[in-house]
Amino acid sequence: MNRRSANIALASSLLAAFALMSVPATAQDSGKEKCFGVALKGQNDCAAGAGTTCAGTSKVDYQGNAWKYVPKGTCTTMKLPGDRMGSLEALARDVPKA
Amino acid sequence: MTNRVAPTIPARAGVGLKPQHYRQILDDKPDIGFFEVHAENYMGAGGPPHRWLEAVRERHPLSLHGVGLSIGADRPLDSAHLQRLKALVERYEPGLFSEHLAWSSHGEAFLNDLLPLPYTEETLARVCEHADETQTIVGRRLLLENPSTYVIFAESTIPETEFLAEVVRRTGCGLLLDISNVVVSATNHGYDAAGYLARFPVAAVDEIHLGGFAIGEDDDRHPLVIDDHGSAIDPAAWRLCADALGRIGPAPVLIEWDNDVPEWPVLFGEARKADRLLREVRHAAAA
Amino acid sequence: MLPLRERQRAFAAALTDPELPVPTGVLGRNGRCDVRRFAVYRNNVTAGLVTALGDRFPVVRRLVGDPFFAAMARAYVAGHKPASPLLIEYGSSFPDFIAAFPPAAEVPYLADVARLEAAWTEAFHAAEASPLDPRAVPVEDLEETVLKLHPSLRLIRSPYPIGTIWAAHQGEAEPQPPAAWEPEELLVVRPDAEVLVHRLPAGGVAFAADLAAGVPLGAATAAACAAVPGFDLPYNLSGLFRSGAVIGFTRQEARP
Repeated sequence: MNRRSANIALASSLLAAFALMSVPATAQDSGKEKCFGVALKGQNDCAAGAGTTCAGTSKVDYQGNAWKYVPKGTCTTMKLPGDRMGSLEALARDVPKA
Repeated sequence: MTNRVAPTIPARAGVGLKPQHYRQILDDKPDIGFFEVHAENYMGAGGPPHRWLEAVRERHPLSLHGVGLSIGADRPLDSAHLQRLKALVERYEPGLFSEHLAWSSHGEAFLNDLLPLPYTEETLARVCEHADETQTIVGRRLLLENPSTYVIFAESTIPETEFLAEVVRRTGCGLLLDISNVVVSATNHGYDAAGYLARFPVAAVDEIHLGGFAIGEDDDRHPLVIDDHGSAIDPAAWRLCADALGRIGPAPVLIEWDNDVPEWPVLFGEARKADRLLREVRHAAAA
Repeated sequence: MLPLRERQRAFAAALTDPELPVPTGVLGRNGRCDVRRFAVYRNNVTAGLVTALGDRFPVVRRLVGDPFFAAMARAYVAGHKPASPLLIEYGSSFPDFIAAFPPAAEVPYLADVARLEAAWTEAFHAAEASPLDPRAVPVEDLEETVLKLHPSLRLIRSPYPIGTIWAAHQGEAEPQPPAAWEPEELLVVRPDAEVLVHRLPAGGVAFAADLAAGVPLGAATAAACAAVPGFDLPYNLSGLFRSGAVIGFTRQEARP
């Protein structure tokens, strides 16, 4: 395919793509919650942290030695199957066929 | 903008605005003097925090309370932060604008706590310089809040009340009298809260804060009171507040509750209590 | 007398390094040094920042559990103090920290889930802009048209199904593992009040990233088709419009 015909193919595919767009992206929110969004807690305040007297006194606690901890949350049920621990080969194998 | 109530904050009770109460505040339309927010929580470019705050501002006067400017830091003020404060003041037209007699930034780092200051001539000069700069750039009178502290400094030479009075005299700023901070610091350092209040430059006070605190112990088993804003107002703080209002006259009183935030009716109940106290002060003055 | 600069330097150093003693001249009652009193400040700094991270990364926290998360967050806080007083921005480099944090290596998708959560809060606080109706775009010379994308738009590509994992943690219910462990391409955008997370078809992130960088539609399409055989242009382009990610357009002058 030469450059000109490639351009024509591009242009027509773009046109086709635009022609398929029937739903305009307008806000169709109903109800105030959607109108304002989630009320997330603010992070800055002027209070001392709760339970402040003891938590800072332990050097170990303060520094945190994560090496002695093991992840024990929901990740224990979200293990990758088999040996596919994120290696590049596994990645290549997992790419879905187009 | 045209739909907003006037910015002026009445000599009534207000509460710190918490996101978990947005919805109910808009639905209930509570009869309350004002709301106060921590400025830094509304410094994003856009999004839900601004949508909620605008809706609240339409119905109520607002007080803007900064917690991150670090007025007491030896380093220069953060000019970007001053500009953000200025933009918020212009956007929401708060009736009052306040910050703390404390420092919270050092070098390149923000330490996320209101840290105590040694009260010396050097610190006084630095705080005045920064208060001046803040008032000039933000374009509003600043109210400076007395701190709650857990330690003092060997090099301090000026009593806190004198230090605050001198900042007021040199910069023309006002004061935010935090009654709970008076109780916290007086207990922690072993002085008389009423005596501190008697020396406080009350003529400059434009707002009062009341917050809950927790009681622990220091190394010597002395009581160590932590200003955690995590409970109802202590009776000792209410009594001191009544004394202060008796001297100052009616003023805006803010209830602060930032940790273990209760349901809205509980927080609003504390505000109504403060309103009753303000009515008693008015009656006593009239009698 | 100790200058203010020296006082604050020593105070800040001891705040953030628990191995250091309470600085000289920092006194409790009776003029004595008091470790518990100084610990209130130490703890406020660390506990406050750990809490801020936990609130910004709730799915990461659930994935590894509170004790592990708190320990990992403390390790991050120890070396990464906020650069600004805006805690809404704190933790932007936490995903990179997690990726290089050996104890978290057994959860290889953790850093990418953190990237998604960081992107979500960035979108939450991003500037407002109104989505564009695609009918406003003239169909002549579409190839030279440059789309302007929403300021809240964030794009993430992961070798793991992080969008599925993230979505499974949104409710109170016990999250179920993904049915398929496959790569995912995600688009995060806040067209109005709500932050939306969309899964894109293969090649969608590179295509949207090109458009966000100002590459004209024609060149972006050509690049996407070259990179991903069978790149689904109508699906990708209409998806960008329907998600509210497009807010305007300009026309690039035709090249000679």
